Amino acid sequence: MHPLHRLATLLWLAPLPLLAAPFAYITNQGSHDVSVIDLARQQVVATVPVGRSPAGVVASSRAGLVFVSNPDSRDISVIDMRTQRVVASLPAGDGPVGIDAAADGRQLFVADWYRNRLLVLDPARPQAPPRAIAVGHAPAGVAAHDDGRTVFVAERDDDSVAVVDVGDGRVRARVAVGSHPFALLLDAPRQRLYALNVQSDDVSVIDLRDLDRPAVLATVKVGRAPYGAALAGGGRRLFVTNQHGNTVSVIDADALRVTDTLGGFAYPEGIAAHGGQVYVVNWMDDNVSVLDAASGRTLRQIDTGRNSRGFGAFIGGPIEP
Amino acid sequence: MTVRLHPRRATRRLAATALLLAPMLLAATAQAHGPTRQKVTEQIAIDAPAAAVWARIRNFDALKDWHPAVASSPADKGNEEGSVRQLTLKGGGALTETLEGHDDTRMKYNYRAKDGGALPVTNYTSTITVKPDGEAKCVVEWRGAFYRGYPNNDPPPDQNDEAAVRAVTGVYQSGLQALKKLAEAR
Repeated sequence: MHPLHRLATLLWLAPLPLLAAPFAYITNQGSHDVSVIDLARQQVVATVPVGRSPAGVVASSRAGLVFVSNPDSRDISVIDMRTQRVVASLPAGDGPVGIDAAADGRQLFVADWYRNRLLVLDPARPQAPPRAIAVGHAPAGVAAHDDGRTVFVAERDDDSVAVVDVGDGRVRARVAVGSHPFALLLDAPRQRLYALNVQSDDVSVIDLRDLDRPAVLATVKVGRAPYGAALAGGGRRLFVTNQHGNTVSVIDADALRVTDTLGGFAYPEGIAAHGGQVYVVNWMDDNVSVLDAASGRTLRQIDTGRNSRGFGAFIGGPIEP
Repeated sequence: MTVRLHPRRATRRLAATALLLAPMLLAATAQAHGPTRQKVTEQIAIDAPAAAVWARIRNFDALKDWHPAVASSPADKGNEEGSVRQLTLKGGGALTETLEGHDDTRMKYNYRAKDGGALPVTNYTSTITVKPDGEAKCVVEWRGAFYRGYPNNDPPPDQNDEAAVRAVTGVYQSGLQALKKLAEAR
């Protein structure tokens, strides 16, 4: 049966509980689609065609929408979490990569890789041209602060992270990190930002308490080419994928010390946590490893589309009004 | 979309390798890479014990002994991590690769190249593995991950994603076929 039909049948049989269950949205850069994994069932329930070479993703539960960046078609595909269908497409510069959404889902922040800009999009007005804010070279990962007006951008070729005030449309501050920062992860309770430096193989831990003077308070060595990060275990443990090491580093987020290095991955990239589990996207093997967050043990693998990335916060479910 | 190309290193190589002037100029000035990482996996079943096949390929500098396109492949530090091998190709062209891991127990090694040299790729990483299939047979797998040679949008046809995949596939297939022939010869 076509996955969408299968999903429709499932929805018909058990509408409300299933709608409440979260999904993982895995961008497949080689097959130009998104694998939708139902986390309750631990299986792919839909494969959604999107734009060309989807890479970045953010699932906004508040909006009930998933936003996917397509660098080769230069747009953002918007997926409705209730139907698992694309409902809109937003033009987004010359090479959209990293993407995040405001907490209310009403603003989208997208790194425009080739044009050195942060784009601010309004998903409710898909045809409106995005607002552009100049940033440093090769902007990659993007993370939205929960204050509603600050967005962090990894300036990969400048070895820095920009603190962008999207209200004023300018870079408010900048902090030097390791070599070639790509992914960012916000740790809101600790008021920290983690910048993953793919060339220096480490994580810069940035103190955000003063947004005018962000400061690196620690640098944690991880495996080769760290690419994605997620907090699990109630925020106590930071999991980092090491793309060239084929490993995942587990870091005590309080002590900022590596406590474990897990093996058995294949060019692991995107990573996200939900409940007691961590989901690791294996680009080389076209699947997702499901880990037990407490033990680090791999519980199972779920096949996805080709060249899966999952670059961003890929887990979410529609919140019932 | 990690980037492993270091602009200053690329410029230095540019001066050294006039042959590859055009593609490397692009890489050096633009710094970045294409938007979509590509991959190639090739496997071949060989009618010979895994240990015997691994013995033929395990040395990082042994590529010239089994790959038909490689004229020479000296490595400065043997099988040590960080060892750099300089490939000279029989058809002209060169490639510099750095050993990143070597594992005799698991019969695999992996290496990287910052630029593809004679290949139209950048940020190239590769792993070759011998997997036993019973006592008398094995499967050799060669995997590569890379970006196309042209770092910006709208690549010319000889430097697009397809050209990159085609080139790496060709290298792997011809190498594995030659290895099979060598290993199965009585």
